[in-house]
Amino acid sequence: MKFKKTIAFGTISGASLLLLASCGHQNRPRLDSDQTLHWVETADLPTMDPSKSTDVVSGGALNNVDEGLLRIGQGSKLRPGVAKSYEVSKDGKTWTFNLRHSKWSNGTPVTAADFVYGWRRTVTPKTAAQYAYLYSHVANFEAVNKGKKSPSSLGVKAHGKHQLIVTLSKPQGYFKYLVASQAFLPQNQQVVKKYGAKYATAADKAVYNGPFKLTDWNGTNDTWTLKKNNRYWDAKATKLKAVKYQVIKDPGTWLSLYQSGKVDELMTDGLQYRHLKNSPDMHVRESASMFYLEFNQRNGFFKNNVDARKAISLAINRQSFTHNILADGSHKPKGFVPAGLAKKGHTDFADAAYVKSGTAYNLTEARALWKKALQQSGQSSITLNLLADDTPNGKKTIEFIQSQLDKLPGLKLTTTAVPFNVRLTRSNDGDFDMVVGGWIADFPDAISFSSLFTSNNAYNRGRWQNKAYDTAIKNAEGKDANNPDSRWNDLVSAEKTLMEQQGVAPIYQRSQPQMLKPYVHGLQYFPTGAQWDFSRAYISSHQ
Amino acid sequence: MAKYLLKRVFYLLLTLFIVITVTFFLMKLLPGTPLQNQQKLSPAQQHLILKQYGLTKPIWQQYLIYVGGVFQGNFGTSFQFSDQPVSYLISSRIGPSLLLGLQAMILGVVPGILVGALGAIKKNTWVDTTTTIISILGISIPSFVLAVLLQYFLGLKLHLFPIADWGGFAYTVLPTLALAASPFADTARFTRTEMVDVLNSDYIELARAKGLSKWGVIYHHALRNSLIPVVTIIGPLAVNIMTGSMVIENIFSIPGIGEQFVKSILTNDYPTIMAVTIVYSVMLMVVLLITDIVYGIIDPRIRISGRSN
Repeated sequence: MKFKKTIAFGTISGASLLLLASCGHQNRPRLDSDQTLHWVETADLPTMDPSKSTDVVSGGALNNVDEGLLRIGQGSKLRPGVAKSYEVSKDGKTWTFNLRHSKWSNGTPVTAADFVYGWRRTVTPKTAAQYAYLYSHVANFEAVNKGKKSPSSLGVKAHGKHQLIVTLSKPQGYFKYLVASQAFLPQNQQVVKKYGAKYATAADKAVYNGPFKLTDWNGTNDTWTLKKNNRYWDAKATKLKAVKYQVIKDPGTWLSLYQSGKVDELMTDGLQYRHLKNSPDMHVRESASMFYLEFNQRNGFFKNNVDARKAISLAINRQSFTHNILADGSHKPKGFVPAGLAKKGHTDFADAAYVKSGTAYNLTEARALWKKALQQSGQSSITLNLLADDTPNGKKTIEFIQSQLDKLPGLKLTTTAVPFNVRLTRSNDGDFDMVVGGWIADFPDAISFSSLFTSNNAYNRGRWQNKAYDTAIKNAEGKDANNPDSRWNDLVSAEKTLMEQQGVAPIYQRSQPQMLKPYVHGLQYFPTGAQWDFSRAYISSHQ
Repeated sequence: MAKYLLKRVFYLLLTLFIVITVTFFLMKLLPGTPLQNQQKLSPAQQHLILKQYGLTKPIWQQYLIYVGGVFQGNFGTSFQFSDQPVSYLISSRIGPSLLLGLQAMILGVVPGILVGALGAIKKNTWVDTTTTIISILGISIPSFVLAVLLQYFLGLKLHLFPIADWGGFAYTVLPTLALAASPFADTARFTRTEMVDVLNSDYIELARAKGLSKWGVIYHHALRNSLIPVVTIIGPLAVNIMTGSMVIENIFSIPGIGEQFVKSILTNDYPTIMAVTIVYSVMLMVVLLITDIVYGIIDPRIRISGRSN
């Protein structure tokens, strides 16, 4: 008996189209004659090579000019991309994607072979792709990426022109999100070979299979344009004619351009947010990024001293920090896994795994626990150092934490703000007492955060160790990987353990407050990876 | 003169070589890696990728490879812009920086000299006071403050010029004004001080006594002699403008080179750090060389060939 899980995308999108049509024309705003969206980035576009993209600028562009097997949209919901449908075998290891007939912007067909080629190219050691690790569950990834096996042994095969069969080494329920990310895009072998080292270093040195195609980019300039791709299979649904990008690095300049209507959106900084937060244009975009305090538990004071870790966490008033100090739309976290990252039904993971004491503020309890912690260590007072980035937010964080921890008797806290690179090196070397770290999810599943704090994980810089946690994560990635309910419970219990033991103290979850002109509609935002999808956006009449 | 030039060019190359060497080893002391998502890569994964770029070799080997490449005109490829040759990155972005620098120098220095001279000639009159106040303002207001004010009033409020962006003469006006303020003020101040000195000297008295016209004295004798110290500061001023325009480039969203330099240091983009350092060093040395030659033209007493005899 073979169990098949088929997602009938065709039926769903058909039904939703009908639903839209029945809403009537009255509520739909009239389309403006100029369907151009004016978008802003704060950094240059560094590459258009899907294997080499690591940043949000190229990620955002690639997500709109190319299309993988599936597409991620508003609220991290998946919709069909090049794959019309897909099936997962009962053991969760074989994924079969049925591809539609679609074309590259140069007119050649997009086939299963393009996926096989693109994926192999990304994991080949010579490519030196920094996101190759996302392939960790694809069969033979390790061996191929280390150069021990040939790329052709990677677990991906074309079956005819329109079927792609992927073999995983172990079940991975969230693989569906990965195939929607840049590292899993198809690549046209002829084009890659034709341009060689120059591939994807300028707009005309690549081909595109998504809703838009890139133009006006010479590889280093500060402006570029996404033009509607008329060869895209769903081109009739794309209303925008163009998305004009401009790089603006100065927040004040950006605000002026937004006010004068030269650009359609503005990501505000803290100061601007305070003035603009009541504007009808304001939208706070939840980000899947968390900033947290790690305790060095390799040896020394914090090792096996849960009271010390709890005391410090309880002494920090995160509500006051996010509202009065940062005041940029960031908010108090519920736990380590950010709110809005993963859901089961209507339940958010952060709510399901909420442990109140993990991020609460209670100075009385903090002082009592701190006293116990000092007794346990046999000292009457202690000097600790807090390490953080020398960014504006990093400095605000250490200054605030220092003022809060001042209220713990017998603690002398010194602080060090260093450049990002130095902070990373010192974190990796364990050269800190406490460090403010940050993490952003690659894909919308709790594991992209939870996997960090297993005992042997390289990112577990404080070396917090807990058997129950390790077992829960092992089960989620192993025996329960193919059972969504048990896997969810594993991850929830792991998160609860992490918070109850205060392996880490989450400080704030970041948000991106965005001003958006009222005539821009249909933008799709999601908190991980590329973040934006323009394929359904349109401009309403605003004269 | 040719002999002198040859000698200077030889020293220039030697200096450049020393700059390359020192910068290379200092740069390798920077912590971190050029990988963009290094915080997400385990040490083993990082090692694997760095090996592909030859960054796991001993530093002296990397140095020899780099210097060998430079001699063949190969400056490597950027890490920030993946696969983009650094020479292309710089050549495609240096244009706007040079254009702004040049415009700002002309707009700053020429009126600066005139205003300074005017102040000296009309010493202790309202003309002198006004020009002094203007030049003090020019020195005390930082260029980025001036830039923001210009942007707000002339751009956003009065719609006279574009707020930011790049694409034609109109786009260069506000950044040029912002950049020109400080060289204008500096040259005006220097010219005035020098000119006041020169106008009090004996040979000016003599020239006047000979019956030369007032403006003839000023142009032929006073101004020319006052310019020597001014030329001295123009060199460093020019380099300051080219390298210090980063903030202005940011404010007006100009696709220039200044910002790339800072970003390349922050992201350990080794080939870009090296190449931009080389470009800036060459610019500084060439400007200094030109300054020395111009001295000779202005003042026959320090003509170079005479000195070497």
